[in-house]
Parts: sequence; C-alpha cells; structure tokens
Amino acid sequence: MNHTRLVHHVGVGALEWLHAHRDGFRLELDVDPEIGFLERFKPVGELALICKVLFREGVAGSRQATLARQLIDHAWCHTLDGGRMLVRGQRAEPLSPIPFEVYLPFKELGYSSPEAERAFRLNQRLDSYAALEMSPVRRLGLSAFQRRFGLPPRVPEADVVGATWLGRSPEPWTVEGHIAYDITHTVFHLTDWGENPDGLPAEVAGYLADWLPAWLDDWLDLQRWDLLGELLVVDACLPRPTLDERAWEGFAAAQQPDGAMPAVRTMPQGEPDEVFDVVYHPTLVAAFASVLATSRALTQLVRTPS
Amino acid sequence: MEQSGTSTRLAGAVQGLMSELVSALRSGDRFRLAGTVAQGNGPRATADPALAAVRVVGADVVLPSVLLRCAPPASDDLTVFSRALHAYPPPAGAPPTSVWSHWAMRRALLRLDASLDGASGDDTEPEAAWLDDAPWQFLTHQLAVLAPLALPGEDCAVARAARRRPVDVARGFVRAVRRRDWLQAAGAGRWLVLLDEVPQTLGLDPGLEFVAQMGGEDARVAFQVEAAQLMRAGVPV
Repeated sequence: MNHTRLVHHVGVGALEWLHAHRDGFRLELDVDPEIGFLERFKPVGELALICKVLFREGVAGSRQATLARQLIDHAWCHTLDGGRMLVRGQRAEPLSPIPFEVYLPFKELGYSSPEAERAFRLNQRLDSYAALEMSPVRRLGLSAFQRRFGLPPRVPEADVVGATWLGRSPEPWTVEGHIAYDITHTVFHLTDWGENPDGLPAEVAGYLADWLPAWLDDWLDLQRWDLLGELLVVDACLPRPTLDERAWEGFAAAQQPDGAMPAVRTMPQGEPDEVFDVVYHPTLVAAFASVLATSRALTQLVRTPS
Repeated sequence: MEQSGTSTRLAGAVQGLMSELVSALRSGDRFRLAGTVAQGNGPRATADPALAAVRVVGADVVLPSVLLRCAPPASDDLTVFSRALHAYPPPAGAPPTSVWSHWAMRRALLRLDASLDGASGDDTEPEAAWLDDAPWQFLTHQLAVLAPLALPGEDCAVARAARRRPVDVARGFVRAVRRRDWLQAAGAGRWLVLLDEVPQTLGLDPGLEFVAQMGGEDARVAFQVEAAQLMRAGVPV
C-alpha cells in the first residue's frame, strides 16, 4: 500500500471506532467525591482538540468530516449538556483549570457558554490560580490555552519553555516513558497541536530531529502504541518530518479491524466501558497522528519539484 | 552440554583476559600474554579456551601498547597473538565482522612485528560494501562488534563508514543504552569519541560513565569504556 494511503487509512479507521463508541465519552454525575467529578473531563477535551485538528488540516474525506462533526456535536450537546457540565465542574472546583482546558477547543470550533466563560475569567484573575503548582510542561499548556482564549498567560510561555525537560535538551539516552510524554506534550503546546510548526524553537527542532528516530525505534519495538502515536505526531510537527515508514507500518499493523488502537501490545479484555477507557486515548492519538502526517505528506508532495 | 560447557569456558577466558587488559589500560603497566596460553600448535593448544579468547578479543589484546606507548609486547607475547590469529582464520562465508576482526589482528601484528606474519606486507582490506546502506541500528551494531578498529588515526573502510555517519552512530548509542545493551553502547561510544560532528546534546562523556556504572561488571564493557575515555583524553598515539 502506498505509504501516505496507509497513514491516512489509520485515521479513517480510528475515527470510525471513536464515532461508533461515542457513548464512551461520559461523565459520572454521582462520582465519589474522593475521585472527583472532573476526572472524566479529560477525554472529552482531547476529543475536541483532535476534531479541531481534523477540521483545520482539511485532509479528511467527506465521510470523516461528517463523523467528526457528529462526534463533536455529541460531546458538546450530550456529554457536556451544552456547556452546563463545564459550569457545574467549575463550581465544584473553582481553581481547577480542567473545565477551561476542555472548553477552549469547543469555543474555537464555534460552541459557546457565556456562563462558563464568566467563571473562567473571574477565577483566572485570582493570584491563587496563577500560583497553582504544576509541572513546567503542564504550565506551558495552560499558558498556551490562555493565549488562545485571549487572556494574558499568567506565566509567559517563553518563560516556561526553558524549565521543561525538552527545553533543556538533556541526554537523549535517559528518556523513559514519563519523560517521553513530557516531550510530546511540550511539542503539542509549542506548536498549538501541530497548527504552528514554527512555534518550535530551532534548537528544540534540531534536538528532536537528531534523537526522535532513536525513540521511535525503541517504542515501536516495545509495542507501546499510545506513546509511539504521540511520537509520530511530534515527527509531523518537525520542519522536515521523516514520516518514518517502519514506525508507521508497525503502528498500522497494531490497529484492529474496527479501528481501535491498543495502548500497549494487544487489545485488553473486559467490559466495554473498561475497554473504552484503555483504548480511547491511543485511538484518538492515531487519528491525530494520521491527520497531521497525511497533511505533511501532501505538503511535501506539493513542494517536491516534478 | 559439551557445547555449552565450551562456551562457558571461553566466555570465562574472555572475561579474564579483558580484566587484565583493563588493569593494563588503567595502570600503564606492560601486559603479558605468554604464560596464560598452552604452548605448542597441536589440537590441545587450539582447544585451549585461553587461545580462543585471544582471537575473540582480537586486536584489542595489544591495545595497551598501541594506546599508551608503553613498552611494546615481548616477542613471546606476539607469538601467542600470532598463534591465535593463524589458529582461527575466518571460514569461507564468514560474516564481514569476522573477516574484519581477523584483518584487524593481522594488521596489528604487522605493525608490531612483520616477521611473525606469514604473508608479510599484505594487508589488503576486506570489502566493506555491507555497511554502505546499512540502517543506523545495524550500522551501530556492526561497528560495536568491530570496536577494535576504533583507533585514533585509523583509516580503513570501516572507519570511513563510521566517519560518514556520526549522527547515526550517536542514535545507535542512544538505542543501545535504552535497551541496556551495555556492550554495544560501550563499543559505539568508543567510535563516537573519534568522530566529528557528533551532536553535543548526546552527552557522550556522562554517557560513557553511565555505561561503565551500569554495565561495567562485564570486563568487556569496562575495557571499551576505558579505551574510549583514554582516547577522549587524547593519550599520545
């Protein structure tokens, strides 16, 4: 199969699975307070982010675009109850950035909840909000979202980058799973989830160009598909993506016939909701990586003189 | 069972030889080979794991004298080295690493004492096309196996292949460390100290120390790291 077609096909399958399993994106209204109502918001925000990437890159076929539109509508109207669940979440935990982070991609796609926005604006003026302790990569993400929302980032992004693991360009042979996720998310935030590859400082891009191939090789052989997918996104965010054939072929081969992508090695067994909770993230990542890599492959095609 | 017993004895002999070589590199004392290996050329001698160990370690057996410029090996030491060289020629169809490691031994011997080699003066290089389009993972693995060729000023086809691809060898080092393949990492690290344009962000110096700390109980690892660090420090060659 032609390489670009293989890459594209991964995303088509992933979106079919996400659409068919959209009820898995669910909140728990009567959750144990020790776990917290906001615990289940993250998948909804991630879904919105990926759908936004899909619309933005414009490489989806008409069926994919329709599925994505239905998915995002479902998440907003049903899961978030038209934004009311965001207000409820913010009232439950006023200082949590999670409802704000989930809301932003919906807002960028044209959905709106004035009541939630009022709460975000007030809470984010609090010194306590700016003083929240979080890892540098998490802080970088929040600052980027504040900028995109039109609020002044309470810590300027440029001041945070140097404190992230990636921003310090450390020894590449020390990378393990947690560090690798910090790397991928630093790249997502710096590039606005692939929209602005120029957001990567040149030295960071150079560092990644040198060492990403070694990490791709490693996590492909370990069959850690969730992380491999995120690293393939990072590749697509570089000035010169490699669109690594061996990694993509392994990634595509791990995908199930129904489009689900296992997180590690093979599909888990269990109740449908449990399987969803393990598999939704790598499947979202598969859709994300596929859309960005397809878009970059087409760009390369256009730029290559015939 | 006999096969595995033989392998174990050979592995033990290689560890013993490498440990002594590590000591020699660290102390600068002259390294003696004679006396550790059975005398003669009969079947008993070639079955001696100590002689086979000399062939396994290859040209690195004489590295202390090459690298430290201490006293050259004594003639009886070179005789043992030469016996190992001639007792274990690469068989027909041997992999390129075997052919090259044999070549490296022959050349080391020619440089130290040409009179001991049967075909003196002929050090025609084996061919190295197998490395031309090698993926970086395979390239690094093969180079690590051929670490005895990683010497300052060495100009053979294998060394040229390494010099053409510093970033690829550096990636291979990262891969080897991540896989805890300390021997491959140490061998790759030894090549890297000789290459230009290795990305600074690799952190080669702490990387070598890390490999020694994690894998240095294997004398082969300790030896390669020691050799790399000596070359890094710019010992006169």
